[in-house]
Amino acid sequence: MFAIDQYAYTSRLRPVHPGEKLAFALVTMVICLASVSPAAPLAVLLIMTGAVLFRAGIPWRFYLKLMTLPLSFLIIGVLTVAVSISTGPPPPLLSGRTLGGITIGFTAASLQLAVLLFVKSLGAVSCLYFLSLTTPMVEVISLLRRFKVPALFVELMSLIYRFIFVIMETAEKMYVAQSSRWGYASIKTAYISLGQLVANLFGKSYHRSQALFTALQSRCYNGDLRVLETPRAPSRSNIMLIAAVDLFLAVLALYTGGGLIARIHP
Amino acid sequence: MSKKFAFPLLVAAGVVYFLLFPQQNAYAMHIMEGFLPLKWCIFWYAVMIPFLVAGLISINKTVQANPGVKMLLGLSGAFAFVLSAMKIPSVTGSCSHPTGVGLGAILFGPTAMTVLGCIVLIFQALLLAHGGISTLGANTVSMAVVGPLVSYALFKAGQKTGAPRWLSVFLAATLGDLMTYVTTSLQLALAFPAPTGGVAASMAKFMGIFAVTQVPLAVSEGLLTIVIINFLASYNRRELEELSVLTREVRA
Repeated sequence: MFAIDQYAYTSRLRPVHPGEKLAFALVTMVICLASVSPAAPLAVLLIMTGAVLFRAGIPWRFYLKLMTLPLSFLIIGVLTVAVSISTGPPPPLLSGRTLGGITIGFTAASLQLAVLLFVKSLGAVSCLYFLSLTTPMVEVISLLRRFKVPALFVELMSLIYRFIFVIMETAEKMYVAQSSRWGYASIKTAYISLGQLVANLFGKSYHRSQALFTALQSRCYNGDLRVLETPRAPSRSNIMLIAAVDLFLAVLALYTGGGLIARIHP
Repeated sequence: MSKKFAFPLLVAAGVVYFLLFPQQNAYAMHIMEGFLPLKWCIFWYAVMIPFLVAGLISINKTVQANPGVKMLLGLSGAFAFVLSAMKIPSVTGSCSHPTGVGLGAILFGPTAMTVLGCIVLIFQALLLAHGGISTLGANTVSMAVVGPLVSYALFKAGQKTGAPRWLSVFLAATLGDLMTYVTTSLQLALAFPAPTGGVAASMAKFMGIFAVTQVPLAVSEGLLTIVIINFLASYNRRELEELSVLTREVRA
């Protein structure tokens, strides 16, 4: 139902210990976010993309499509940061126009910030995709359990994850049934149909939760859900590799503190 | 970049962009992965945690007294996630995705919504590539703390003053969404203050730009929530009454 979830289960990095993958994704993301020049984020983007495409074996078309998902937010957000609007005396603009006392334009500093932001966001997104394309949700949840995240939170997570698929399927069946009866023919009917769908979906979810509770109670449910986990041995070579890559990225981030753009626009 | 070309170039880029991606599906405004600087990520996580802990404690209390509530919350969370993946035809002609902020707050109460909303945001980041891990704190505060609190307060105020139900539902859902978007704009403005005018000017910029998608979304969702609540009130009255266990006890 979710392509990302399917790839997570079939990726070639699936057998790797989930803790290693999580640590790699998070540490790299922190380095990427902490960096003040575009060099380290670009390296992060390259390394993560390489890992996803060549180590995990995710098709590049799919990965490229995923990369375009946050693009609308990214482009709008970056442009908003880059463009400065002022009513008073204009700041030292690189380029701009004044219309009726309002000045719209770029300053060198805002442009530089926007470029850095663009690269950093893409780098961080690639870290997120590395994690979500190689590690199934169930393993992320079991990691959280081991990190002593409150039991209630973890249990709710696993219940919600389990039922997303059930409810999604129910909703899709309802949608097909409605739209095959012209339920979404006009805006007005669409609102009524969707309202009906959601209300019914709520009723169905409610009854399903009661049925689940009855089923659990008849199997001696006493307040916590226990599931079997497949133990995975951590691999020393993987940990060494992760440490080496992140060390390289951290050094790169520190070394290139000045930034590429500063040299282009002195 | 020379002075002459930069501005027309920007306009051209904007036009090309909207020609390439017409009829955007407006999603609720989640800050994407990596967009916030590290210190703001940490700050919003720190703001989120007390609310999350308070939510967990109160849910825990209800669950101790009434163990079936845990299953109900699990299903409700999944319901909220599926809701956010649906499309409502928007009043402007494109599509937008409901946030479920208003409906969730009305049905499950603001404290339960904080916990459910946080989990839904994690799943949205990992399964739908929407939102992110580093921005989870900021998104939870806007989407699962501020939004539901506003919705719930408005809905309750509407009930107290005896306003018609459709009005209080509409206001709760619409203003819950709008406040979510205002909070997100504030979070972005705090992280990226404008060189002239500071946080206020920057917030005006972000609010102005995202209003294009977020205001129609809020109005559409307000309308949809009225339809949903009307159907629920006429066909699912018993479930709603049983559900009030959750809002009453979780709140206490």
